[in-house]
Amino acid sequence: MQIPMILTAVIGLLMIIEFFFPMPASVTSLNVTLRSFVTIISATALILGTIVLTIFHTKKVGTRGSEWYYSIVYVVAFVVTAGLGVLNVRDTTFLWIYNNMTSPIGAALYSLTAFYITSAAYRVLRARNWNAAVLLVCALVVLLMLIPIGAILFPPVVPLGEWIRSFPSGAGFRGMIIGTSLGIMGLGVRVFMGRQKEHLGIREERRDSE
Amino acid sequence: MALIVEGRVIGLLSLLIIAGSIIYYMQRAYSGKLPKLRRLAAVNQIDEILGRCVEMGRPAYYLMDTVTMDNPSVLAPTVAAFQILAYTARSAARLGARFFVPVTQGLAYTIASEIVDEAYKAENKQDELKLDEAVMYLPDGADRMYIINHMWSDGMAGAFFLGSWYHKAVIFTENAARVGAMMLGGTDTTHNIPFLVAICDYSIIGEELYALGAYVSEDPTVSSSLAGQDVGKFIAVILIVLGSVLITLGMSIKGLLSM
Repeated sequence: MQIPMILTAVIGLLMIIEFFFPMPASVTSLNVTLRSFVTIISATALILGTIVLTIFHTKKVGTRGSEWYYSIVYVVAFVVTAGLGVLNVRDTTFLWIYNNMTSPIGAALYSLTAFYITSAAYRVLRARNWNAAVLLVCALVVLLMLIPIGAILFPPVVPLGEWIRSFPSGAGFRGMIIGTSLGIMGLGVRVFMGRQKEHLGIREERRDSE
Repeated sequence: MALIVEGRVIGLLSLLIIAGSIIYYMQRAYSGKLPKLRRLAAVNQIDEILGRCVEMGRPAYYLMDTVTMDNPSVLAPTVAAFQILAYTARSAARLGARFFVPVTQGLAYTIASEIVDEAYKAENKQDELKLDEAVMYLPDGADRMYIINHMWSDGMAGAFFLGSWYHKAVIFTENAARVGAMMLGGTDTTHNIPFLVAICDYSIIGEELYALGAYVSEDPTVSSSLAGQDVGKFIAVILIVLGSVLITLGMSIKGLLSM
């Protein structure tokens, strides 16, 4: 059970050493190879995920589980797309599926954000208390600054909006970034020392038995 | 040949001081000297959300958004989210809450499955877990419609939005708010923190995401490391003040920073 922790610590330290100290070409080359393992492991896990998903949907169709008809869509789409891709990844039909189906569906789903962001903005921008009122005023100033008619109607919103973005907002974000960086360092040290291993799926009780 | 890569001396010094402080506080904890730590409210909130789900007989969702673990900026918050998942899944198993963890990447899916499986085993509740239904691999793109649809059909009572969140933060939290779920949100992606803070009932921001992972580990040596991180904060404050004074006096610190 110690092996994953030792591997994490050794490989992590190798990467840190390479970042700060000039290293011989052999060490740099080793690190490049190790980094390429990430891609290989991710690709293997993707295959595993796809197999699990296919088994899940096939079972659902077989047992007529809830909304099983959607699973048929998955199975058919998977068989057709994967089949064409395996035969020839540069095949025009395969590329057609990607360019005319997968890509537009992705763009359409992404565009959902615009609608949700509007209702989320309404939820946020209600002056329920003093803090929310400050947020509302700042948001209105910045919005007016960003729309073309805002600067024409209320010219002072331009410098005021720039000031809000550059100083209070910028300072807050920098504070958050410093805190986050420290948090990442703390996480790294705990993981390197093998004291935190939940992300490896190792149960709490096993700590005591080691 | 320089001993240290040019421009990285300050970074190395900072790393050594902060990592040294963290290790120092962890070693002190081994000898029984524990620092006084403020209890993170989010620990109670996790149990509160899961308790609500049990009372209402509805599921809790644990969402992590982007989990592409070969991306360094995503890896750290994802690992933190996994650590909190271990605690949350164990609490869900203990309380008997229905739990759903959709994951959009193969590698993260295998890790999440392992964590949830181990959490239920730890509570001797593996009979209550249907792993292929509790942790589901949903390819990126398909996840949005599936999750939104099931949020409504399941009438979920609680949701956790932890990890590296991008545009989906608005889509999922807004739907969860409409369904009436109690939410805990936390991310380190600065441009999405405002959405999670504004929409979720409870939120953890920035470094609290990492601190929570350590806090819920139930290991005092791990939670003691948070005191070491505070040393870094003090150093940052001192450097900010010092830099402001030097710049105000017209002294350039560019040379020092490019060491």
